[in-house]
Amino acid sequence: MSDTPLDLLKLNLDEQVYVKLRDARELIGTLQAFDSHCNIVLSDSKEIIYELVDGDLKTTERFSEMIFVRGGLVALVTTPEDD
Amino acid sequence: MSFFGLDATGRKPRERRPQGEEESLDFEDSYQGLGDHALEEDDLLNDETFGTAADLGADFDFGYGKGGLDAGADAGKGSAPAPVSYAAIANAKLNGQTNSKPGFEQSLDMQPMESLWGNSDGLQQVPQQVPQQGPQQFQAPPQVHQQGAPNKEGMSMQTLERQQQMGIAPQPGFYGMQPPQGPGYGFMPQGFPQGQFQQFPGQNVPPVMPNQFGNGGFPNQPVNPQEAFQQMPPVMYNQAQGNGPPHMQHPQVAVPPMHNQPSVQQHPRQLPPQPLPQQQQQSQPQQQQQMFHQPHSAETNIAPQSTRGTQQFEHTNSPMPLQPKLEQIPTPPHTPRDYRRGPRRFGPQDALTDDELRRLQVRQSKVDKILRHSGVMTPRDKDFITRYQLSQIVTDDPYNEDFYFQVYKIIQRGVTASESNKDSIAKAYLEHSGHRLGGRYKRTDVALQRMQSQVEKAVTVAKERPQKSKGGLDSAKEGVLGKISATRNSKAPRKQLQIPTHKEDSPSLSSQSSSALDEVSESLQGVDINAKRRRSSYALSSSVDQRSVLTRSGGRKFILSLIETVYEEVLELEAQLRSGQQPDSTKLWEALHIEEHGFDVSPFISILSFDKGIKIIPRIMNFLSREEKIKLFTCFFRELSHLNVIVISSYKISPLPTKDQLKKVELFQSVFLKIIVSFLSSSAEFLEVMSLLINVIQNNNVSFITTSRIGLNLITVLISRAALMKQDVSRGKLLSSVEVSTWSEVYDRLFTSLETKLTAIFPTTEYMQHAVSVYDQDSSQYDQSYIWQFLASLALSGKLNHQRILIDEVRDEIFEVISKAEELNSPSQQDPKLTYQRNKYYQDLNLFLNVMGLVARDGEITELK
Repeated sequence: MSDTPLDLLKLNLDEQVYVKLRDARELIGTLQAFDSHCNIVLSDSKEIIYELVDGDLKTTERFSEMIFVRGGLVALVTTPEDD
Repeated sequence: MSFFGLDATGRKPRERRPQGEEESLDFEDSYQGLGDHALEEDDLLNDETFGTAADLGADFDFGYGKGGLDAGADAGKGSAPAPVSYAAIANAKLNGQTNSKPGFEQSLDMQPMESLWGNSDGLQQVPQQVPQQGPQQFQAPPQVHQQGAPNKEGMSMQTLERQQQMGIAPQPGFYGMQPPQGPGYGFMPQGFPQGQFQQFPGQNVPPVMPNQFGNGGFPNQPVNPQEAFQQMPPVMYNQAQGNGPPHMQHPQVAVPPMHNQPSVQQHPRQLPPQPLPQQQQQSQPQQQQQMFHQPHSAETNIAPQSTRGTQQFEHTNSPMPLQPKLEQIPTPPHTPRDYRRGPRRFGPQDALTDDELRRLQVRQSKVDKILRHSGVMTPRDKDFITRYQLSQIVTDDPYNEDFYFQVYKIIQRGVTASESNKDSIAKAYLEHSGHRLGGRYKRTDVALQRMQSQVEKAVTVAKERPQKSKGGLDSAKEGVLGKISATRNSKAPRKQLQIPTHKEDSPSLSSQSSSALDEVSESLQGVDINAKRRRSSYALSSSVDQRSVLTRSGGRKFILSLIETVYEEVLELEAQLRSGQQPDSTKLWEALHIEEHGFDVSPFISILSFDKGIKIIPRIMNFLSREEKIKLFTCFFRELSHLNVIVISSYKISPLPTKDQLKKVELFQSVFLKIIVSFLSSSAEFLEVMSLLINVIQNNNVSFITTSRIGLNLITVLISRAALMKQDVSRGKLLSSVEVSTWSEVYDRLFTSLETKLTAIFPTTEYMQHAVSVYDQDSSQYDQSYIWQFLASLALSGKLNHQRILIDEVRDEIFEVISKAEELNSPSQQDPKLTYQRNKYYQDLNLFLNVMGLVARDGEITELK
């Protein structure tokens, strides 16, 4: 099996992945699909949005059953840290 | 005009002169000069020969008028080269002509049309024109004076006009030339009518016509030596117009009224230039016209101005009150020529013909559009493209390319044959294209046949293509050597360099595997349960850590890639199954690594620790032989304590399971457990069931496994299955004494491992509450039925002493359940839900108690009756 980056990503299909996005967002969810543009579909995902409100870090969480992430926003994909 | 090729040298340069105004000017000048000349020669001659044009009979008039008109037109075109005259005009003392330019342009526009129509103008016009000519000639002189070109031609014109004015036509030399034309004219009428028809319908003129015209024109040439010389230029000119240089035509096109002509002229352009007018289909009409004109123009080259030409000039440029009236009156619009001519010259007629012109314009533009790209592709090109497109459509592997449609199709029609695929494509294609091709031109049959053959070709091509690519794949080093298969597209992109890796041959392992069963049977025979090959050397702690398990089975990445491989293999096998091939599952079997002993923990067990690994198992099972299945289950039970699901579902290790973990447990139960049960109940032999149980006992910490729900389920399945088989007399195959004794041994062993730890199978209350709360089960109580099922199956196979021990150990739990049930039974509460819960307690409990002939009811345990 050839090991291009996306081949490695393929190994994590149906597995929990951690996706860091631009604009201080991150996603944790089950990797359902991806393509060569790194567009990603996650299921049962939790999105964490970091914001600076008056100098204080504020985090918001959002859950979605199924979410499509445009590849251009993806900064990194990895396996989530074990809780 | 190619026929007459004399003046080419002289005319050509003039013709090719800059377009636009100059040309238009040239045109007029030439017109004038030539016209004058022509008038001098021709007209005068005509007058003499025919007498006064007006007086002449219709035929003569026709010929005459025709000739005059044609000559004028030709003069206009052929003489277009009259830049000299233009310059002369510009320089010279043109008195009244401030408007020379517009006038010229108009005349330009007019002329081509005239030439066209001139030919066609039938007999009708002749009489009309004849009278006109008279006045025109008289009027002409002022024009001449105005333009007064110093050119020879211009001079000739002037002189001509003067002479005309004088009413005398005394130029014998020229006349001498003309007589031959007379016959030519005589011929002309014959050709003309046809010419008219051709021209009028529009662009497409049957090639037959030129012959007639040619005949008409030819006789003239030999007669006049001058004509020969003079005709040359017109020939060139005609060619230029017909085939090549658009300069002349463009200005004409620009003018709206001229549209008819441009169309005619444009067509010839598209066709390759052919010197012979007869061969030219579309350009012929023009040429024919020109042909006719040429004789005149030849004469007129010097000054072949037709009366008409002068008329035009006069009308456009010089305000002549008389002429417009005359012309309008005499020329009725009904004649095609006049009709068309009218709009250009006369205001009233313009209005009338607007619609028609517009229609013609539209039609012309349509034709142009159609013709613009026509002939760009040859039929072969089209065939090629069609085939190529079809080959993209047709695929050998529809399930790979078009899976969802195929499934949809199956659902819809229940058609699975891949054969129907290409047929449907071909049919659809034929339907479509056949309709269009055939429908329109009524060549349906031919078109259909053609398309059918094309589709067949396409299918064969498509069939051959993938085979080639496959062949290319075989030589893995091809890419390394730089040779790249020619068939590369989006579907089969260029392959990454593939360097063949020698598979780790494991003949020894395979040989070992074959003896796996023997091993089991040996152990059975010997009943050497204590000889533990791999006694649970894996401490509980080591199995708990999922990572360490993965590490010891090759690593997470390795396992994940194995799963991917398994998926690929399964898909491939399913594709083979669909295509009717005999699936070869050896690769799949290798990918499962079930017989791989190089790892501390079998990779297969690790595969099962992933959800996707579990999900694929049912599909794997379709391709495994019975022996392989047994090996698989043997491996599974042997390393049960490493199974991630066991760990997760063990309340001891995962006292507070997460929702995901519980989901995983449920998934495993619904998928894998079901498979095991179905396999054991359907095709497993008693011996095999025992061997599986032995594997569990030998290699695992049974007491640990029983702390997990899954583990307990698995053991329950094995025991109950064995018990059922043992009791099942109807099998017709009585168990041998060896088997029976072996079974008792195995059971003893199992019971021993569980003895004194049976209470441990009951999860803690915290665990139960947590599981219930996390998993949002409908019932508020943790379902303990699986525990009582286990105890029941254990009791079922056990002897009396076993059962006694069992009851002793779980007595507390029994009473606890009864007390719980009785709590719910308080008379005050008649909630159906609670009642159900209470009944559930008793049901579960009685599963176990019934085995021993007891029954729990209403808080009391009694003997089962």
